[in-house]
Amino acid sequence: MRNAWGRTDGTGRASTRGLKLVVVAALALAASLAIAACGGGGGIEESGGGNTSVQTVTVSGKPSGDLTISNWPLYIDKQTVPDFEKATGVQVKYIEDVNDNQEFFSKIQPLLAKGESGGRSIVVVTDWMAQKMYQLGYLQNLDKSAIPNVEKNEVPTLQHRPIDPKDQYAVPWQSGMTGLIVRTDLAPDIKSVCDLFNPKYKGKVDMLTEMRDTVPLVMKCQGVDLNKATEQDWLNAIDKLKQAADSGQIRRFTGNDYARDLTSGDVDAVIGWSGDAIQLQQDNPDIQFVMPKEGCMLWSDNMVIPVGAPNPTAAEAWMNYVYDPKNQAQITDYNYYFSPVSGVKQILQKQDPPAAKSDLIFPTKEFTAKCDAAPELTGEEEQKVTAAFNAVVNG
Amino acid sequence: MATVRRRLTPYLLLFPGAFWLILFFVVPMYYMARLSLDSGTLETGFKFTWQWSNYNDALTLYKDPFIRAFEYAGAATIIALFIGYPLAYAIAFRGGKWKNAMLFAVVAPFFTTYLIRTIAWETILSDQSPVVDVLKSIGLAPGGHILATAAAVIAGITYNFLPFMVLPIYASLERIDPRLIEAGKDLYASSRAAFVRITLPLSAPGVIAGTLLTFIPAAGDYVNAFFLGGTNNKMIGNVIQGLYLTNRDYPAAAALSFVLMAAIMLMVFVYIRFAGSESLMGEEATAR
Repeated sequence: MRNAWGRTDGTGRASTRGLKLVVVAALALAASLAIAACGGGGGIEESGGGNTSVQTVTVSGKPSGDLTISNWPLYIDKQTVPDFEKATGVQVKYIEDVNDNQEFFSKIQPLLAKGESGGRSIVVVTDWMAQKMYQLGYLQNLDKSAIPNVEKNEVPTLQHRPIDPKDQYAVPWQSGMTGLIVRTDLAPDIKSVCDLFNPKYKGKVDMLTEMRDTVPLVMKCQGVDLNKATEQDWLNAIDKLKQAADSGQIRRFTGNDYARDLTSGDVDAVIGWSGDAIQLQQDNPDIQFVMPKEGCMLWSDNMVIPVGAPNPTAAEAWMNYVYDPKNQAQITDYNYYFSPVSGVKQILQKQDPPAAKSDLIFPTKEFTAKCDAAPELTGEEEQKVTAAFNAVVNG
Repeated sequence: MATVRRRLTPYLLLFPGAFWLILFFVVPMYYMARLSLDSGTLETGFKFTWQWSNYNDALTLYKDPFIRAFEYAGAATIIALFIGYPLAYAIAFRGGKWKNAMLFAVVAPFFTTYLIRTIAWETILSDQSPVVDVLKSIGLAPGGHILATAAAVIAGITYNFLPFMVLPIYASLERIDPRLIEAGKDLYASSRAAFVRITLPLSAPGVIAGTLLTFIPAAGDYVNAFFLGGTNNKMIGNVIQGLYLTNRDYPAAAALSFVLMAAIMLMVFVYIRFAGSESLMGEEATAR
């Protein structure tokens, strides 16, 4: 008999060829299943499910060795890391790989579930994410004896926050406001979140992919009291966003990359972060932070130590170092967010008087009177609201 | 002995390819299929439970971007055909000594990465650009902007996949014996009749290959919609990317991937049936 690959010219031959092909295909499939079976269940399915017993980090001796820190982009000046290395002898690998809480969490969750941190000793995430990670057992408690500066210098409003009542695991990196960043030359009349839905600005508005920034601000526009926000309030606001997205009112959902749209003038206004506004304003004075009539959102990004983090001694040394007002002033003077450390204003009054006077960096009580922290979402509520919001952002 | 070796040779020749296919196509496919039937979330872990509702849920939620993907890919394919055919024709029959240079020009943009090419379009089409100013002044930019509209996405896809349309058509036109056309004209065919009855049918395999090579990747594309589209221009590729990489809703993403694959296969099947497999297989099949 001729082999399977010989040219066939008769009909009888063709059918044996067909049969052989089927056999080969079946063998291939069987082989693949066998290989798959050897894999035993697959990596993804096994992941997930956190344990809830929390360990405390062990700090011992003088800091040394390597330290890997994951933070958001444009959050630190060029000098602080080298200064710290000189002062302590620790080698720092500072990586800017956090662009979005949800995205970052998705990336490291499979590692955390296995008790690893991917070599990271410190990661910086926003309040709600820090709390979520803590509840899942992905974070460690801090050894407070190694971070005296934090105890001494942390501003009182950031102590004993609802996400961390005993100040056990989260040390604020910077805080800030989410409000409006407006091209005042193109759209001088935008003063409120509701204005972003004005058809006049159709296709000229960006909003944040960060759900806990965008949706509560829209709820404020709808007149919802955030302290009493229900699941339905969240869903109503998401509905409004969906309509605006479908009609083309909202141009894009973005992270930090709204900066490009603002600079090029492709958008008139965005929902954005206060520190970014000041940084952008230095290149173009027409880009300004506008406190929405409805008020703003307040948040902090926190340094936390994940499970399996190598070298916690160096990690706490870093936390302690940046909570020295002198060192902190250098960071604040670069990123222009609220500093979590007392005494920075006094230092900046000498070094950078305009910054020390800015309401956006050292806000008065009146300035942020109408501002709120993002309302909490629990379990099933969170899942439902997140799914609805993702459908708007993705679809 | 010799016959055994001869019998085994084809299998041995097939082995590297088959191994590759099984390892990197069949195995992942199997995992994807399983994954698409999982239930659970990232935090609680995924469990295999024959969750067929994943398919229904994902499709209901993401029906619009799904349909949009095929609309955009279809529009881009048709535009690319209308640009690509005359271009390929000109190169094949009128290119003369410039033929190679012109073919090089078609491929040249590919020396730059896909991403950079698309971001360049973002700059060209940005609201303040001179190009958009001109379009606005002749009333071709209804919303006052091009970027973040369907037009921008379709234009981007057309541009990025144009060479996939031009090259196969060129290859089939190039092979046409010009004497056939001369003979047709000798028999009093007008230029138009000669084109419709000789050139076009003989270039059909190229046209079909070109449309498939454009349409299939375009339907799953997400780069163009990401950079050039707005909130209401997302394609199914963007949804799958978001579900996989940001939300880590693996089951929904896997389910959507399978539906996308099935839909593309169905369309290609119908198209080939309709267009005729002879034209796809070329003269060899027709000659039988």
